Order: sequence, then structure tokens, then C-alpha cells
Amino acid sequence: MTHVVSSLLVAASLLLGTFASAATLTAEFVDAQGKPLTDAVLTLQGPSGKPDAAPKADMDQRDQRFAPHVLAVRTGTQIRFPNSDDIRHQVYSFSPAKRFELRLYGGTPSDPVLFDKPGVVVLGCNIHDWMLGYVYVTDDPWFGVSNDKGTLILEQMPAGHYVATLWHPQAPDMQPVPGGEIDIPAAGLRQRFSVAVQPKGVDMPAAPPPSAFGDAFHKAAHE
Amino acid sequence: MKLRISFQARIAGVLIMLLLIVVVAVFLAVKAATQDAVSKQAQAQLEVGTRVFEGLLEMRGKRLRDAVQLLSSDFGFRDAVASADSATIRSVLLNHGARINANDMFLLGMDGKVLSSTIEQIPEGSPFPFTQALRDLKAHNQSMLIVPLQGKPHLLVESTVLAPLPIARVVMGFSMDDDLAQELRSLSGLQVSFLSVVHQLPGQIISTQPQPLYDSVRGVMLNPASDQMQMTEHGDQTFLNKRLNLGNTGDAAGDQVVALLQSPLDQAMQAFAPLDEKLFWITLVALAGSLVGTLLLARSVSLPVRALALAAERIGEGDYSTPVALERSDELGLLAGAINSMQSGIAEREQQLAHNALHDGLTGLPNRALVMERLGSAISAQRAVALLYLGIDNFRAINDSIGPEGVEQLLQVIGEQLQLPLRPGDTVARLSGNEFLLLVHNAETDSAVAVADRLQRLLLKPQRIGDHDISLDACIGIAAYPVNGDSPSELLRRASIARQDAAQLPGRLQVYEDGRDLAHQRQISLIRDLRHAARNGELMLHYQPKLDIRNGLVRQAEALLRWQHPQFGNVSPAEFIVLAERTGSIQILTSWVIEESMRQLAEWARRGLHVQLSVNISADDLLSGDLADRVSGLLKLYRVPAEQLIFEITESAVMREPENALKVLNRLRECGISLSVDDFGTGYSSLAHLKRLPVQELKIDQSFVRNLDETSEDAVIVRSTIEMSHNLGLKVVAEGVEYEHSLRLLERWHCDTAQGYLISRPLTAVAFEAWIAKSHSSASMMVH
Repeated sequence: MTHVVSSLLVAASLLLGTFASAATLTAEFVDAQGKPLTDAVLTLQGPSGKPDAAPKADMDQRDQRFAPHVLAVRTGTQIRFPNSDDIRHQVYSFSPAKRFELRLYGGTPSDPVLFDKPGVVVLGCNIHDWMLGYVYVTDDPWFGVSNDKGTLILEQMPAGHYVATLWHPQAPDMQPVPGGEIDIPAAGLRQRFSVAVQPKGVDMPAAPPPSAFGDAFHKAAHE
Repeated sequence: MKLRISFQARIAGVLIMLLLIVVVAVFLAVKAATQDAVSKQAQAQLEVGTRVFEGLLEMRGKRLRDAVQLLSSDFGFRDAVASADSATIRSVLLNHGARINANDMFLLGMDGKVLSSTIEQIPEGSPFPFTQALRDLKAHNQSMLIVPLQGKPHLLVESTVLAPLPIARVVMGFSMDDDLAQELRSLSGLQVSFLSVVHQLPGQIISTQPQPLYDSVRGVMLNPASDQMQMTEHGDQTFLNKRLNLGNTGDAAGDQVVALLQSPLDQAMQAFAPLDEKLFWITLVALAGSLVGTLLLARSVSLPVRALALAAERIGEGDYSTPVALERSDELGLLAGAINSMQSGIAEREQQLAHNALHDGLTGLPNRALVMERLGSAISAQRAVALLYLGIDNFRAINDSIGPEGVEQLLQVIGEQLQLPLRPGDTVARLSGNEFLLLVHNAETDSAVAVADRLQRLLLKPQRIGDHDISLDACIGIAAYPVNGDSPSELLRRASIARQDAAQLPGRLQVYEDGRDLAHQRQISLIRDLRHAARNGELMLHYQPKLDIRNGLVRQAEALLRWQHPQFGNVSPAEFIVLAERTGSIQILTSWVIEESMRQLAEWARRGLHVQLSVNISADDLLSGDLADRVSGLLKLYRVPAEQLIFEITESAVMREPENALKVLNRLRECGISLSVDDFGTGYSSLAHLKRLPVQELKIDQSFVRNLDETSEDAVIVRSTIEMSHNLGLKVVAEGVEYEHSLRLLERWHCDTAQGYLISRPLTAVAFEAWIAKSHSSASMMVH
């Protein structure tokens, strides 16, 4: 996932490379207890307008999981849903920001899905209930998702004043949380963001035990 | 019979009572055990059933939950729910709920508000009543909620609608209906009832029990104290109950769902009903068997006892011939044997007793009783029969010579001999010591006499007894039926009379003559009265003068006894002297005669009359021994000289016991009394014998003198007797001199004294005195 993010960041830096001064924002996410928070999203509304190019992104499915777990994209991004598993998936979302459904497929579907409304799009797989992914669609030009160390590094940031917005799948009511306004100096900024997260809902389905036979038996016995 | 019934009844009663006790005990024990077993079984069944029930319910809940979960993850469903379109949601709820036969469906928001509902009571927008319960359910990892809903118990199952995050919760309610109850019942084997209670009000009951029991079942279910296993009765059935509170809403309002599981005891008990029945039949058979066995046992005892009792009764009645037939080796058999031997013993002894009662112990001959009985039966059959009364005259002499043992032997011989001339059926009986009675059937008097004659001759033949040859002198009296009487006692008496008469006859045989029994009666009267005659002053002495032939003077007289009987008048001495001698009262008479003679002599002496008086002495006097003493006492008393007395004794009197008689005679002679031999010539004594006697006088019997003439045989006897007597120094008296020529002959033959009617008949004392006085004045007339 880090690799993907970094590639995205590379792409972004390439896009933003034209700006005169470039700074690096190192954002560290912690929860209320101060523990590093993974999959936290940070969006920044800054001095410059948003890029006009239609961006693209991939939400892979690997090992019956969405990868990345949380994907932040800019509004209007075309997201492809390649399937790296040797089984098919049926990706869907009932989120108001984007309702879609990809019929059972393997490999990479021909058409990417356009996420044209900001908001949280919760992804699921119709045949693998435990598969859960988030696409955070934002209008803000700068954004990123914290890695497994709870760290997000945004490079090539123009120094300036930004309004930060935070989000996390376990944020209350899955609503974005204002992250305050920050000034990023040219020398870069190391900023710590604290996000109050709720524990994972009990309703969340878990992956079945890895025994296919037990699974079948269990099903048979209860039907 | 009484014995038998009571005996049998007692044995049967005891055995049956014991059996009943055992059976009842067994029955109670079995009953208790079965009841216990049933109770335990029911309890176990109830426990197992309860677990099964709970398991089933849990399983059903899981199934439903799974079904609901499956349903909720249906993409279309999720899609519909996610659409947030109320109508769509409602329709998808109904549609999908129908798929799994849910009765009620709710869609709840994640905040617990009702988003959609199929029940009007729970409208949209209202908080779902069981939100908290559902939350607890999840916390406790339970699959379903059981709640009262619309008066019915429901299973509530919740599932989260994931899209893929939880967006809503779908709750489906399944009414716990009869089908569920029946299913649970068929799997758990228990009667299953459900009841919902809302605000203390019971809802509709769902039960596998039949309709009529609903009320009582409801009562049990409403009783919160009955959570423990307990027994209740519904209708006529008994159940072991387990009340379960299924409601897990944790609701303080007391809304609850109660399940009642009931294990029917009766059915379990019914499994033991055949046992009861078998036990009943076993009891019945055992009772019947024991009854039969008891009766047989009692019979096997009571029948022999009865037989023994009958036998004892028979023996009591005198039946000794029927033995008790009891083929047993036990105690009763021993008893039967004992009774049989007792019976034969009694029979033997009774026979002996009867024989003894009717027979003579010594000879074995019938006795008087038996012969009289036979005589009686002959008479009543009107058969001619002759009764022979036989006496042995010389029995006493024989007894003296051969002794008692010899007599016994002799009597037996006589018994045998008496049978000889008799025909079968005739009877010989022994009456007393020397008397026998013979009963001869079909015999007239003549043939009886012939038999008697034969008997006499037989007995006369000498019998060798010990060292003696015994010849028996039998005298026989005969009385015959019907000529001599028609009753046994009369015939016996008359035969006895005839026998007494026979004793006086030379032939020793006498047939009864008519009237003899009257004479016999007179004899008996005389014998009876004779003893008292002297005391009553009925006796008197007459005196017959005795003429001294040589000088023609009467200086002597014979005192002769006379009896003036108050009834019969003068009784002849020939009659009563014989009776007195026979009956032993002669001594009374002779002693009276002796004393009276002395008194008379003394009286005469006072008047100057001195005569020599002859007095007759009996044989008994000679044998009594004290005669001499008495006489000498009397002589002193009356002061009579002994020379004035002459005692006349008969030859036979002396001959009976010569030695004793001789002693007495000698003593009398010593007293000075003269002795004379009376009735000389009638006995068997010889002159040689006379020589030994101390006698001075001899008196020739009047039978020789009465018709004395010169040419008769008597004359030779008288003359030679006189001569011989004189040669022996004895004086001779001739009595019975009735004729003058007799007196002349006697005078010629030098007979000393004459006595008889020629001189004078016997005179009273007064007449004699007068006669003496007169004769002395004319003494010359008397003697020529």
C-alpha cells in the first residue's frame, strides 16, 4: 500500500512540480489515546486552485480485501477496480456519494468508475461480506491516507495556509472532522493530528475461518 | 364335617393370609419401585426433553438467524434497504420475510428507530421496544429473542444489513405456533405449551395438550412459583412439569413468555400396567393354587382324621370287624395302625368279657345267664325244650378226698362228659359248684329222661382223677316246655324242685310233677319259719312211753318234737325234721328239745315222777363239738341226773364223720348220758362198727317191727339183732310195736323194751303224766 501511495505522491509531485516553492508536510495521526492511526485521511484546502487534469486511481482487490483499505481521491477521479485475486468479486457501493455495482468480474474491468461527488463511498463485495473498502472523495486538492505507522507525508506542497479536514473510517458517523488550519512553511511541517475514532462496530462481518470444508458443513448444517 | 371345615378353613386362612401379605408387599414394593422408576424416568425424560427443547429452540433460533442473515445479505434486499424508499423497503420486507416464513418484519435504523414495520402497534419512527434486548442478545452471543407480541410468543431474530457497513437492522418475528409446538413435542417427547404474558395478562395459549386441558395448563404456567419440576394433574392425567421462562427481554414490565414442558406420567405408568396385570394374575393364580393346595393338604389330613373318627365311632358302637384302611406311612398311618390294634384288642377283650359274662370260668361252659337266654329264645320260638337240672350228690365227699385242684379237673371232665349225649345246639351250663343245667332241644319228657339216664350212667363210670377213681352220683330233675311251664325262670325253678325231689328217690331221677312247686313253697315257708319256731313257742314235746317188756313197767319215754305252725297247723316231724336237717337248722331244734326235756324232767321230778327220757340227736349236733359241754351245763342248771337222759343217734349220723362223732359220744357218755342207736337196720353200718361206739342201747327200726310175725324175714333180722346186741352187752328197743303178737314175739326173744301204738301213742306232758299214773295202777294189764 505504501508503494501505491508513494507512487500516487510521485504523480502528484510531478503535477505540482511547477510551483516555485515546495514544502513537505509530514502528518502524524494518533487517536484519542495517542496511538498511531492508520488509514486516516487528511485533506487540505490551500492557496492554489485544484488541478484540472482528470485523475485516475486504482482500488485493487487482493486476498479478498480491498487494497488500499482507504483510498482518498479527488472529485471526478476515475477509479479502476482491478481484481488481483483468482476469484471473482462483485464490488458495489450504496453510498450516496456514489452508488455503483460491478457485476462479478475477474481481472480489471474495462471501464473505470467515476467518482464525481465528494463524500465517503463505502465499498463492499457482494459475495465477500467481510470485504470493506473506503473511497474518500474530496474536492480538496491535497489529500492523503496515513500509512500503517500513522504517518502521511505530503511533498511538494506549496508553503502557505491550509485548511485541514480529517477523516477516518471509525470517525463518528463517518463524517469528516475539521483538522484546523495549518501554515506550511517552505521548510516543511511536521504536524500531529488527533482523530477521535470509535471502536470497530460489532456488526462488522469477519472473514470466515480458512477451512472451506468447515464452511460448507456449517452452512449445510444450518440450512 | 365340622372338624374338616374348621381345619381346612384354618389352614387355608393362614396360608392365604400369608400369601396375601406377601403379594400385597410385593405389589406395594413393585408399585413403589415402578412409581419411583416412572417418576425418575419422567424426570429424566423431562430433563432430557427440556435440554432437547432448549437445544431445539436454540437451533431453531440459529437457523432463523442464519436465514435472516442470509436474507439480509441478499443484494437486492440490501439494495432496497439502501434505497431508503419506505414503500420499497416495506415491500422487500414482506417479500423476503415470506421467503423464510417470518410473521413479522421490522427494519430498524442503527439508532434503534423503526424504519419500517409490518405491525401497526409498532409504527415507523417509533423506538423499537426490544432494542435493548436485542443489544443484550448480541452481547450474550445469543441468536434470538423470545417476546410476547400481539398476545403470542414470538421468536425475534435480528440481522444487520451491511452495505457493507451496517446501515440498518432487520428484525423478523416468528410466531411460536402450534406447528412449532408439535415439532418440539415430536422431538422432545414432551407436551409443549407456550404462553405469553403482557402486563400480567396471559395471551393465547399454544399447547400440544388437548383443548380441554388449556385452562389448567394455563394456571400452571401463570404460577411463577412453579419453576421447579413438579407434578400436576390435568383432567385425569398426571404430568411432571417443567416451567421455563423463555422471555429474555429483561423487561421489568413483566412481559414474558412461558413454556411448559410436561412429561406425561400416566403414559409411563401405562408401560407398567401390564406388570400390574401380570402381578394381578400371578396373585390370582397363586391364591387359587394355594387355595387348592391348602384344601388338598387339609383334605389329606382331615379325610384320614375323619376316617379315624368314624372308626373310633364304629368301635364305640361295637363294630370291631371293620378295620381302618389308611395306607399312609406318616403319623396318621401310625395312628390308624394303633387304632386297628386297639380295635382288635378291644374286640378280643370284649369277647372275653362277653364270654366270661355268659360262661363259667372254670369249665368254659355257658353259665346260668346264657342258658336262660337260650331257653327264653327257645320258648319264644315255641320249640319244645327240656331242662335238666343235674346235681352231684357226693360232691362234698369227693371234694374232701381229691382237693380243690382235683375238683377243678373233675368239673372239666364232667363238663366234657355232659356234652356227650347231647346233640349240637343243646346246651350244657354250670350253675354252681356241683350243679349243672342241660338244655335239650326238641325233647319231650320221655326223651329227656332217656338223656338223663344216659348221663347218670356216664357219670357213674369211675373217672381217674389223680390217684382216685371217682364215680359220680348225679341226681337229675327235669322240667319241660311246654308241659311244665312257659317261662325260663319257672322252668328252672321246677327243674330244681324236681332235682331236690330226685335226691330223695332211689333212681335219682325225677320229672317235675304238677303241684310240686306248691309243696315246695310250703317247704320254703317251713324252712323259713323253723328258725323262729322255738322262740315263738310253736314247738312242744310229746312223749311216747317205752315199755319194759320184762317187768311190764313203763319207766322210759321218747321225747318227740311237735310243731304247731301258725299257718299250716300241726306239721309232721317227718316233714320238717328233714327240712331242718337239710337247711342246717336242726341244731336249733335239738338244743331246744334237749333243754325242754330237761326242764320237763325237772318238773316231773318235783312231782315225784322219774322217767328216763330218750332224745333224738342229729348228725350236726355230733359234729358241732360243744354238745357235751352244753348238755352238762343244762344238767347242772335243771339238776337232772344224767342217767335220766338217753341220746338217740342214727347210724348215718355217726357214719358221716366217725372220728369226731366218736369223740362227742365218748364225752357224752362220760357225763353219764346213755346212748342209743336209732333206726338200726336202715343204714349200712355193721355190727362190727357198732362195737366201737360207746352205746348202751340199740333201737330196731320200726320198718322191721311193724309187721313182725314169726315167719317173716323181719323176724330173723329182729331176733338175730336182739341176740347179737345182747351178746355185745346192748339193750334192744323195738319201736313201732302195734300188735299184740309182735309184742309177744319180742318178749319171747328177750327184747328189752317196746315202743309203739300198742303201748301208747305219743302224749303231751300232762297226758303222759296221767297215763303213767293210770298204768301204774294197772301194770298187770300191760304185762302178761
